[in-house]
Amino acid sequence: MQSSTVILIILSLFIGAAAWLIFIWTVSKGHFDDIEGPKYRMLDDDDDH
Amino acid sequence: MADKRAFRCDHCGIDILESDLISVEVNQKTRHFCCHGCHGAYLIITGAGLDDFYTKRTWAEPGVPAFVFESEYTDDYLAKFITHQGPQAELLLLVEGIRCATCVWLIEKILKKTPGIHDARLNFATHRLKIVFEPATISASSVIQQISRIGYASRPYSWDAAQQIKDQAHKALLIRFGTAAFFSLQLMGYSLALYAGYFQGIDPQTRTIIQVLAWAVTTPVVFFSGYPFLHGAVASLRNKTPNMDTLVSLGVLTAYFYSIVALFRHDEVFFDTAAMIVTLILLGRLLESSAKNKASSGVDRLLKLTPETATRFNDDRSLSRIATAELVPGDLILVKPGERVPVDSIIRSGQTELDEAIVSGESLPVARSQGMNVLAGAFNLLAAVELEVSRAADDSFVARISRLVEEAQSRQAPVQRLADRIAVIFVPIVSICALLTVFFWGVFNAAPWSTALLNGVSVLVVACPCALGLATPISVLVATGTAASKGILFRGGDIIESAAHSTLVAFDKTGTLTSGHPDVQKIHPARGNSAALLQLAAQLEGASTHPLAKGIIREARRKGIAIQPSLAEVVPGKGLMLQSDQGFIRAGNRKFLLENGVDLSAPPVSEYTEVHIAVDTDYRGTIYLSDTIRDGAGETIAELKRIGIPSIMLTGDSPGAAQRIATALALDYESQMTPEEKSQWITDRITQGEKIVMVGDGLNDAPALGAATVGCAMAGGTDIAMETADIALTRPEPRKVLEAIVIAKQTLQIIHQNLFWAFFYNLLMIPLAISGALEPIYAAAAMALSSVCVVCNSLRLSKIDQANSV
Repeated sequence: MQSSTVILIILSLFIGAAAWLIFIWTVSKGHFDDIEGPKYRMLDDDDDH
Repeated sequence: MADKRAFRCDHCGIDILESDLISVEVNQKTRHFCCHGCHGAYLIITGAGLDDFYTKRTWAEPGVPAFVFESEYTDDYLAKFITHQGPQAELLLLVEGIRCATCVWLIEKILKKTPGIHDARLNFATHRLKIVFEPATISASSVIQQISRIGYASRPYSWDAAQQIKDQAHKALLIRFGTAAFFSLQLMGYSLALYAGYFQGIDPQTRTIIQVLAWAVTTPVVFFSGYPFLHGAVASLRNKTPNMDTLVSLGVLTAYFYSIVALFRHDEVFFDTAAMIVTLILLGRLLESSAKNKASSGVDRLLKLTPETATRFNDDRSLSRIATAELVPGDLILVKPGERVPVDSIIRSGQTELDEAIVSGESLPVARSQGMNVLAGAFNLLAAVELEVSRAADDSFVARISRLVEEAQSRQAPVQRLADRIAVIFVPIVSICALLTVFFWGVFNAAPWSTALLNGVSVLVVACPCALGLATPISVLVATGTAASKGILFRGGDIIESAAHSTLVAFDKTGTLTSGHPDVQKIHPARGNSAALLQLAAQLEGASTHPLAKGIIREARRKGIAIQPSLAEVVPGKGLMLQSDQGFIRAGNRKFLLENGVDLSAPPVSEYTEVHIAVDTDYRGTIYLSDTIRDGAGETIAELKRIGIPSIMLTGDSPGAAQRIATALALDYESQMTPEEKSQWITDRITQGEKIVMVGDGLNDAPALGAATVGCAMAGGTDIAMETADIALTRPEPRKVLEAIVIAKQTLQIIHQNLFWAFFYNLLMIPLAISGALEPIYAAAAMALSSVCVVCNSLRLSKIDQANSV
């Protein structure tokens, strides 16, 4: 097997692991507590910000 | 046209009776409101420049939560719910009446504009509101008042230990599933390479590298994500009763360890099987957990039906406001119109009409006078009365009901799921098969022990339960989704199984089979035509908010009779009286007219409520009203009977009223039942082996809903019924009960088919594995095929239609 393939595979593993860590962080920060509200909240024209 | 005269409340959207109409000029436009509360809410919202709310909102149901404008909390009571952080304080509330994202927007905006409130964040999914405020500027009770003024009821929400554990468990499950999904995704890439390599040839060294990578990503899926199964399996082995967890663990672990051995023997690996079972089953559990989490604890809300404070007479007849909990039997209290009775008591002086719908399910207000008992939670409609407390708050009717609900729920034996029942038989059989294989190869064929062991393990691998494990969760997943889109919420897979096995449906009457408000059924004029009589009655009835009066007004409006504001006088418990140029017009019950010297010719008809009308002593006629049966109730009961499920009606109402509905719907009934009796009746039938679905809507049904095999609550009743129920119907249509049972039955049917497919593949593969002739790629293909079969078969549930009902 070409070493470049191995490097790519290892790289993808690291990227996957990074995404996984970010996911765990977001869950623990409560980003998944309300998965309905934000999509509407985004559309409010906020005048006081 | 009469219909054009109907007004709609500009705040809450309900139709307004002329008698209640409030028309106000706001910004050069005439606005109509159903009550002063809605008027106030409208002024606050437009005053804050948030008119957008009215154009953007998408309410499926009009109206505001009952008694929202009257509810209040004392700061003493709220103190224990506030957490202080320096000058700031935090309060968690649960908000009722949220129907769309615009509601969330409105509440947050209004609160953020209020001085002293730093932040307000409302969770659309859970309806929990977190407020950060400065206690020095604004008190907690005025924060709550601010929310109720715009038409949303809120109550302090204690994020207690039990709820925290639930929330954390849900988060942990989400992390486990997320982990499984991420690593399975990686694994899929490697598996693809391995499968391609199997067919096209692959350099052995490359294969080993990819297999090692596959091993690396599978390990966290099996041991971290799959921990709940492994843990459950250990527990089940300790109890010596194999269950679903045992089955899943057996499959996952054998596939995993077999693959590790195969890796070193340069053979095919099955890491993807192990990872997929874990991921898919976790997904099922995650969705089930979200459905359950939405049902917050109902029992604490029950107690909120009684007011927090009461007005007590001191020894010197002066009045003081005290906490309801402090009332002791013998205390004298004052309950004004528009207030709820705080504790069970006896009327000492005065007479009034009380709306007891919330406690007894009785649809009509009842007249109560001196010496009569009144129940906590009843709503005073007419006049101030002086009551003597007969029971302390802890012992009141509402408190007793909440205890009954708790008891009924704790008494219920957990349902043993179909999959668990299968595991009890299947796990030992497969284990014995595997052991026999090892024994057979090792002893009789004198094969090397390694070959014997490997053959034994391959029995476990193919026997186990990719498809078997998926059979139930996938069907439940699809069925719950389909049901939800039809307005039927199942609170878990076990509920679907129980509902499918139901043998009897018990209906509550008022508010479930009937609409809960009386409509005019017959008009019987003594002379002249019925329109004239209706017009005469309508002249008076506009003065009253009594449901009978509203029924007559509705009918009059439908017939195109103009309704004038009425100056009639209300005689509690009897009727209405108006002095006009024709003389004294009276409309009311039999007793009221007889007392006033009217000679009644109409015979009493027990199944209707009668309103007699007379001018002076001249009897003019009678209007008969009764609760109307909801659309589709008759067909639902007939259809249920057709699929072999009889129905019965359990009601607290009088035998006469029950008889009329029962005859019209052709079903059996039990009348004059208290909540305790309903619950007891159901428990008795369950001990006789019946599986009962109880359908109800009110507080008085809550214990019965808890006691029934499956409790099914209808929207439009009290929230408590919705929260103690296993199935919640979001629309008050009896037909939904039928749909729920049909969906449950079809789901069970699909589960059975799934299990057949899973076993069918096992039946083919196990003999091959025992004979040692199983090529690994066939094993993999069979497992994949059986899973695809099961998944595709389950997806058929998303196309359930009424047309092809059972």
